[in-house]
Order: sequence, then C-alpha cells, then structure tokens
Amino acid sequence: MRTRLATPGLLGLPLVWLVVFFLIPIGIVGAYSVDALHGPEIFAEAHNVTFAGWTHFFHSSVYLGLFWKSVKMSLIVSLVVVALAYPVAYYLALSGTKRKYVLLLILIAPFLTSYLLRVLAWKVILGNNGVLNSFLAWTGIRSADHPLSQLLYSRFAVMLVLAYVWVPFVALPIFVSLETIDRRLLEAASDLGASRLQAFLKVTLPLSLPGVIASFLFVFIPTVGEFVTPSLVGGPSGYMYGNQISDLFSTGFPDWRTGSVLALFLLGVVTLLTAAFSRFLRLGETASA
Amino acid sequence: MEEQDLTTRRFSREDLLKLGAAAGAAAVVGGPAAIADAARTQLVKESGRLQVLDWVGYEVKQLYGPYLKKYPGQKPKFTFMTNEANALAKLSAGLKPDVVRPYVGYVPDFAESGFFQPWDPKLIPNLKQLNPSMVKAGQYKGKQWGIPQDWGFDAILYRTDKVQPHGKSWGLLFDDRYKGKIAWFDDLNALVWAGYYLGFKKPYDQTDSELKRSQALLKSKKKNVRMFWSSETDMQNAFASGDLWVAYAWPADWVAMKAKKLKVAYMYPKEGAISWIGMLMLGKNSPRRQHAHAYANAWSSAQTGAWLENNYGYGHSNTKARPTSKDLIKALKLNTPTSITEPQAHIDRDIPRRALYARMWEEVKAS
Repeated sequence: MRTRLATPGLLGLPLVWLVVFFLIPIGIVGAYSVDALHGPEIFAEAHNVTFAGWTHFFHSSVYLGLFWKSVKMSLIVSLVVVALAYPVAYYLALSGTKRKYVLLLILIAPFLTSYLLRVLAWKVILGNNGVLNSFLAWTGIRSADHPLSQLLYSRFAVMLVLAYVWVPFVALPIFVSLETIDRRLLEAASDLGASRLQAFLKVTLPLSLPGVIASFLFVFIPTVGEFVTPSLVGGPSGYMYGNQISDLFSTGFPDWRTGSVLALFLLGVVTLLTAAFSRFLRLGETASA
Repeated sequence: MEEQDLTTRRFSREDLLKLGAAAGAAAVVGGPAAIADAARTQLVKESGRLQVLDWVGYEVKQLYGPYLKKYPGQKPKFTFMTNEANALAKLSAGLKPDVVRPYVGYVPDFAESGFFQPWDPKLIPNLKQLNPSMVKAGQYKGKQWGIPQDWGFDAILYRTDKVQPHGKSWGLLFDDRYKGKIAWFDDLNALVWAGYYLGFKKPYDQTDSELKRSQALLKSKKKNVRMFWSSETDMQNAFASGDLWVAYAWPADWVAMKAKKLKVAYMYPKEGAISWIGMLMLGKNSPRRQHAHAYANAWSSAQTGAWLENNYGYGHSNTKARPTSKDLIKALKLNTPTSITEPQAHIDRDIPRRALYARMWEEVKAS
C-alpha cells in the first residue's frame, strides 16, 4: 500500500514537469507546423490545419540536404571524439594510477570555463592572423600573404571545435563503464592464454560498449542540432540544420511553420536513433551482468 | 517593481510640475481623495525605464543626450535587434518595447503588425527641423508612424591594397578572384541587390522567374563567401583581422576600418547602392508615452545628428546637423540627403512578397 502511494508521489512532480515543459511545448510546435497556430499575426493567412509545411519539407532537396550534411558532420565528430576519448578513459580506468581522479578532473577542467569563451578562443587560433597561421608564416611553411583561410569559417572549423568541446564529456561514460569491469575477467582471459590484445577485443571492448554507445549518443544528439558553434566559426559552408531552425524562428523573417517542421523532424530522427541504440545499451548491460 | 521605481527614481522639474498640475486638476474635480489617485496614476503611468529595441551601437548616451537632461538618471533599457525580422520575432515572443527602429521599407509592415501606434507630432518639437521628404516617408495612411533619424547606404567596403575591382559594381561581392574573402549581410535583401546586379526593373518586386534567377546567382556564388554576417561587430573583427577583404557594409564600417588604419574604400555600385532611413516607431499601449516622445525628440535634435555623423558616418534627418570632417562628407555623401533617393540610390522600400523572399534567402543559406 505504501509502495503504491509512494510511486505516484515520487513520480508525480517529474511527470508534471515533463508534461508542462516538454510535451505541451512540443504540442505547440506541432500546432505551428500544421498552421493551427501562427507567429506574428501580420503573416497570418488562415488558421485551417494544413500540411503544406510538411509537404514542402519532404519535397525540398534543400532542407533534407542540409539535414544530411549536419548528420554527416555530427557522425564524423562523434566517431572521432569517441576514438580520441577511449584511450584516455582506458588509461585512467585501467592503468591503476592512484591519481586517476585528479587526472579526470584535469580532463574535464575546460568545462569549468564558459562554452562561448572556449569557442571564441578557437577564432584566435584559427584566423588568418591567428596563432596557427602566424606559426606557419614564421616557419616559412606558408607565406603570410596566403594563409590557410579554410581553417576558420568552414566546415572543418565547426567539426574541430565541436570535437574539442565534447571530448572530455565523452570520456566520462567510457571511463565509468571501464571502471566497473570486473578485473578478474581479464585475469581469467590471461590465464586461459589470451594475449593482451585478445583480452581487450574479447573482454574489455564488449563490456565497455554500453559506455561507448552512450558517449556516442551524448555527442551525436546535441551536435546534430547544434547552432551556436557553426554561427561563430562556421561561415556559409559550416551552416548546419540547427542554424536554419534558429534562423526561421528568430533572425530570419519569421516562418514558424517551416521552423517547427524542421524542429519536429529533427526530434523524430533523434528519438528513433535513441530508441535503436538503446537496444544495444540494454544488450550491453545484459552482457556485463 | 513599479513601487521601487517610484521611490528610487529621481524626478525632474518637469515631472514635478506635471504631477502638480495633475493633482491640481483632480482637486478641482474630485476633492482630496482624487488628488492622491491622480498623482499616483500619472506616476505609475510613466514609471520605469524606457524600453528601447534598437541596433547595436545606438545605445550610447550621446545619441539621446537631451533625453537624459530631461530625465536625469533614467537611461533607457536597451534590447538589441539584428534586423527587422528579428525585431518582429522578438515582439511576437512577447517583448514590449516603447520604441523600436525599423528602416523605412518596413514602416507599412510594422504599422499593420498591431505592435505599434502613430506618434503625436506635437510632442516632438524637433520634428520641424527634420528633412520634410524623410518625415513624409515615415507617414502611413495619413499618420506619423515613423520619425526619421539616421540615413545611409548598403554598399561595398573593400581593401584597396588587396582588391582591384572591375569597375564599380555589386559584382565585386560575387568575384571569384576573392573567394573566401567576401562577406554578405545575412538578410533577405540579398535577393534585392542580386536583382539590381542582374538589371531587373523592380528588384523589390521580382517576378517568379526573376526571383529564381537571383536565387540561382546567389547560390552559385555562395562558394566565394566566407561569412554571412548578422553581427556588425563580428564582421568588423573579421575584416580588421584580414579574414575579409570585401564586405556588404554600412558607412559606419568604413569609418571603423579607417580608424584601424586599414586601406579601405566604400564603393557605390553603378547599379545603385541601397539606401535607408531609420524610423523610430512607438510601441502600442506604451506605458511611457511621454518618455518615448521625449526620446524621439532627443534623437531628432541637431546635437544628436552631428554626433551621429561625426562618429558613425551616417547621415541624419535634422537639416541643421552637419559633420565637421570633410573626408566624411566626401566619402559618405553626408551633405547631400538627395543622394539616397532615385536615381542616385535605391531607397529601401516595402517588399510585397517579403515572406517569399525570406524563404528563398533561407534556401540560399541552407543550400
């Protein structure tokens, strides 16, 4: 009886929170996407429900093309970041160093500074007169009159900055999954004649997979809808799907219908991906159990 | 909050006189109880700091000095807009500014938006000193919706030591020779200047096929563009650091780059620069109507005009305002307000199919 009362009591507030600040706003965005609601009234034409926004979206090679471009950029960033973070997390978790928590703290130290500041710092590094180009000019590798201009305001700049920003964050779930691995399994593998590489491939890697997948999602989901970094270092070629959503709602001429369609499509894809990957997460948990 | 404002704000002599007058009138009509009520109503009505939605750079106090003299210690509270569409988005999202500054082409749209009300010209004595044709441009359906202030151009800023233009043309913003060094302004207006470059008769009201051609041109030349700027500061920083050599820019950017000792020129394309007049508009149901009028009056003063001209290189509608620098006058045509009219330049005007232009511009960016 007490349990029956405790469950709604405990879950009630989060549930209300979820409904009020997540489900209802999504419903409102959904209403905008089918013209049931309008933004600024001067642009209102009719309040009849229409799926014109969705039809236009699915027939527009521009929006889907931009979405695909953002997915590709985000995929590359996520893969690179996971690949970079794994060895670091591996070392921290399994090397047996006593200072691992200090090292972990150092690793996540950049998080203590402003996100904006970290992104803007890259502008100083990557600009035509920035640290990198000045160094190249100083060493004579590149003439000062012809700096590497694709370093900044480019797709490369966006991916570099995103990778930099997310590496420490990604190392954490991998570290946790590696730390929880029962060391006796590795000893057993060694006793049974497995080489260190074999033990890694057959034992450590599969058991850390849930952490890897969680990390991958941690990066992929926010970066595919990213708009701050591209707007600061992206330029036209680094323009992403999130920028288009932001522009449709705010800086561009208000077109909330199209903006809502784009936002909901992104939400749908991300939900599907999460659902698909969560199967792997559960499989991984079963394996580790 | 209102209470706090009442107790903490300083009153000018005019405030006190107004209060006295309100109280006096109430005493005659309604007796002592009404005195307090009337005085309180008047205060509450005009309490709190003036809310201004404006472009970055226009928050400096030299631009509304007479207002601060009238209401000492009551610096307006500023929110910034990156363009008119952005302002509309903010208004739709619930921002309630007393004063907003769109440019002349947007006056009808803004007037019809339901977010604004016409000004009372009697409360703006300096209006008499403003250029009559510009004042007329601020009228819509017989009412004064916009009070003209700053004027200037959208044209091309370029580095004279790095760039050799083939004649004076908008084409410089497409020039393949300067790939990766060019900046366009992030605004649907890009379709308009592309239309002028292509020689269309009415770039503000292009036919479907013309719009497609303008869009195709922009899409094909996007590869040369390093930056679509919406923050003037970002663009200036990139220009100053050498990341940009050619930019769609305003006269103030020329002034800023000159100040940084860069070799720059401000080019008026042969197809015609785009010109504009900033219009102060009054928020609907503004609770600070008197303050808003005083603010518009301050902006309309010759003193403000001269400061704007000397420091930003923009023209001002006050006919008595004149810049001191001859360089400025020559480069930015500040002593000839007619330079912003046809055929010298194409004044910013209402775009009947603005929503379509906007969508097509978004597609250029997304392509």
